Amino acid sequence: MFRRILIANRGEIALRILRACRTLGVEAVVAYSEADRDSLPAQLADEAICIGPPDARRSYLSAPAVISAALVTGCDAIHPGYGFLSEDETFAEVVRAHDLTFIGPPPEVLDRFASKEGTRRLLGGFGLPTIPGSPMINDDQHALDEADRIGYPVLIKPSAGGGGKGMRMVRTSRELESAIKICRSEAKSAFGDDSLYLEKWLDDNRHVEVQVAVDRYGAGVHLGERDCSVQRRHQKILEESPTPALTSEARASLAETAIRAVVAAGYENIGTLEFLVDGSGNAFFIEINCRIQVEHPVTEILTGIDLVALQIRIAAGEPLGLRQSDVVLRGHAIEFRINAEDPAHDFRPGAGVIEQYHAPGGPGIRMDSHLYPGYEVPPYYDSLLGKLIVWGPDRETAIARSRSALEELLIDGVTTNVDIHRALLENETFLEGRMTTNLLDRVGSAAFLAAAAAGAR
Amino acid sequence: MPDADRQRERGTAGARGSEASRKADHAGIGRLTDELLPALIAKLGTTQLGELEVREGEWQVRLRRPFGTAPGQGRRAGDKPSRSQPGHEGHGHGRAAPEGTRGSKAGAAGAARSGADPTNGTGAGDERQKSRTIATSPAVGIFTPGSRAASGTRIRAGDSLGSVNVLGVPQDVLAPVDGIVGSTLVEAGTAVEYGQELIRIELAVPAAEAL
Repeated sequence: MFRRILIANRGEIALRILRACRTLGVEAVVAYSEADRDSLPAQLADEAICIGPPDARRSYLSAPAVISAALVTGCDAIHPGYGFLSEDETFAEVVRAHDLTFIGPPPEVLDRFASKEGTRRLLGGFGLPTIPGSPMINDDQHALDEADRIGYPVLIKPSAGGGGKGMRMVRTSRELESAIKICRSEAKSAFGDDSLYLEKWLDDNRHVEVQVAVDRYGAGVHLGERDCSVQRRHQKILEESPTPALTSEARASLAETAIRAVVAAGYENIGTLEFLVDGSGNAFFIEINCRIQVEHPVTEILTGIDLVALQIRIAAGEPLGLRQSDVVLRGHAIEFRINAEDPAHDFRPGAGVIEQYHAPGGPGIRMDSHLYPGYEVPPYYDSLLGKLIVWGPDRETAIARSRSALEELLIDGVTTNVDIHRALLENETFLEGRMTTNLLDRVGSAAFLAAAAAGAR
Repeated sequence: MPDADRQRERGTAGARGSEASRKADHAGIGRLTDELLPALIAKLGTTQLGELEVREGEWQVRLRRPFGTAPGQGRRAGDKPSRSQPGHEGHGHGRAAPEGTRGSKAGAAGAARSGADPTNGTGAGDERQKSRTIATSPAVGIFTPGSRAASGTRIRAGDSLGSVNVLGVPQDVLAPVDGIVGSTLVEAGTAVEYGQELIRIELAVPAAEAL
């Protein structure tokens, strides 16, 4: 096991990793930017070290700053969290070159799964159903030919990165021709890589993902799935498990297919395989995330397994210590992402001082947040303030507890998206478990909020 | 890290220089000074932050509070000038002008002119305490004082007083102002963090005035 871990991230995930380190008896050093000097993780860490100015490119995204901080504080491993440097295989390589361990898949594994298009082919070869798609696009004519072959509508996707950047859905060849230029330039500026590919677009699809854990010795288990169909512009806002989209047989079969394929393909550490599920319950693999995910607590609360601790143990070379039969999924869990965003103004991100903060409690309630009264939310980073995770023996109970918990949650000082969560819990489509990834965008968030308000009266 | 900034900016400046890009630069400078800067100054005034940095395309604007007025701790003493570095004609990006890194007075005055002294009153007290300031670390790494870091050495703003070694790459510790080196706060070979106070600099007041 490691002796001392550098946490190269911020906000709630830095706090989450810090807690896992404490549980494992490992010292934790938090690397922070000047904007996060007063943050909770920096205050609670065994040691905190300032690595740069607020601009993430010179702090959280600066490989030299992060690695130098790990070396001068005597750490033997770096936990990158999610986002920032977490899926950067070059960073992972440089970390190793400095005799440190990158907590995540080893560099060669990251490298093997770096290209989304390549990963789709690799795992497709090991029996995963993949979405019809193109190889890397050479030029516009190639794109048009491939789109004809796949059949419109198609989704233009960048090979690198995520978060909806450089991604466009097109329904005709004319749309494709104009959108592909935009995608190319967006991908270039966001990820420094403008390679694109096409994917069949499924209208009214659902997003279901399978959590896996594989050790260095090839032992692997799946930890069930999560449904992330509640999205706004390709950003997840609520996740739950089990997915209401599939029968329990279909869920088990999907998870088993997923774990078999990644073990066969030589994956290592924890990871998430994302699938699109069509209206008939057919699942198509789209991509793998080689890191801890924002929504990991949904799985933790169902399985009782600490995924961050497991991730650290696997990176340290420990055997998994779990068989599939040890993974028991109990009840139903829902996670609400609480963001500093104003739903009334097109989800404009906000910043400011938290005047009051109260986290809800009671049976089955977990709040992962770095907020405290007086904390100043800086304007430089993503708007996630925390995650409310609610468990119940069944979906109905989880929803009832969620209503109560959202009512109890108090965050004063910045505008949050809590209203959209309250509205979701009054929405018939959600209550019936029929959410699709395009629903919020199709209805429009404002109309969605208004409808919920009218229904509640 | 004014020096690193300058190096990076020089790097990008080299790739530019066509007539069109010069024109775009001028338009950019105009827009930055007319629209963005006042908004940023106002924003900095309402927050607890010591520094704001905004990038837009190839432009980068950074504002810092005058030294000592930032909440928390005295940091980045050298970066007093609360001003953008939008650059000069023909060079695309601003290599920091000598007067940009030099001279706390210019910077402080700049902030005052724009009515953005964010600290309401403490500014005046701060002015009185300006007989000394501190050079801070540009990065996380191992500190090595340079030959000009000896106590009593007369230095000019922008002089290298030593370096911080980041994975084998030394980054200069720059004198924030003209003055005389006082005490060194950190021993050679010590690990330092970004923004850590390293070397005290006395401002001989009349001399500073004369400069």
